[in-house]
Amino acid sequence: MITKERIIVPGPIVNLAAALQANAAVVFTIPVLAGQLIGVKSVKIVKVQLFNNTAGNTQVYIGTGVAAGFIALLPALDSFNLLMDSYGPETDLIEAEAFANITAWPATLVALGTIDIQISVAIIG
Amino acid sequence: MPDLYIFKAQEGMIDPVALQNQNVAIHYTAAVYYRKVDFLEAIPPFQCLDIGALAAVTASGRVNAVNLEMADHEFGLFRWYPIDDAQIRLYHPAGISKYQLRNIQVPVDMNIVNRDPNLVSTEIAVWEDNRPAFEAVNGHAFVLGAVRIIAIGFRFHTVSLTEGAAKNPALVEALKTGKEPCTHVWCSGRAMGD
Repeated sequence: MITKERIIVPGPIVNLAAALQANAAVVFTIPVLAGQLIGVKSVKIVKVQLFNNTAGNTQVYIGTGVAAGFIALLPALDSFNLLMDSYGPETDLIEAEAFANITAWPATLVALGTIDIQISVAIIG
Repeated sequence: MPDLYIFKAQEGMIDPVALQNQNVAIHYTAAVYYRKVDFLEAIPPFQCLDIGALAAVTASGRVNAVNLEMADHEFGLFRWYPIDDAQIRLYHPAGISKYQLRNIQVPVDMNIVNRDPNLVSTEIAVWEDNRPAFEAVNGHAFVLGAVRIIAIGFRFHTVSLTEGAAKNPALVEALKTGKEPCTHVWCSGRAMGD
């Protein structure tokens, strides 16, 4: 019997205060406890919420790694000035699987503007 | 006697391992008690244990599940699952690892309800007040507010076949030799090498 596994857990609210992938911030940490946790864990993003704090219209990239090591998991998500933008689960996100911490960065930010981001993930493993 | 076995993979959640007047051999560590069931009732799903809040990337201490203790002359049959995203290790009794393989003690996590929907593989029995104990492992980078365990099962009251009013040496001998049927119920784990 194969059942689609869906243990959904939310990540913390992270404030993205610097643009560009060199400033990618961790928005979800992969569960790991060396020597005690049994089995490798991975995650699939099921929901993304963005809140734009006067950052101007921009896009947020979500993936793994930082700077030149950044690998996108999802297409860029629009974030509109002063609005809350919500992606998934009604409009399913691509079920890209990540084995490394999830990171995110905005393409641009108006001076003093920031973007709050929170993601929910399905834990696999 | 189709009733007389453990780990039943039936439709629905859990079946009793013995019915009224059926015989059981209760194993607790090295001891074996031959008894007869004279009462049983179902135990609906309930929260048997909250290990409590657990810091990020931390294993909890071992916590006795006192709510799974049974009264004198009684044994309980339980299946269980966690409702918080920790990995749970079971000890039964507190000093003996359950689900122990040669190189690993297999934990149970929330995925058990997907992978083993009627929880057959979690089945344990508890003899009197010899309760199990649980440990939780939080592999997340955040605190778990609680680590809760849900159990479901049956309560069996038994009478002894080796002493007292229901004493029956001939029947006990027949149970030992397999001439009469009985359910063997293991109410503890077994240490490696025993």
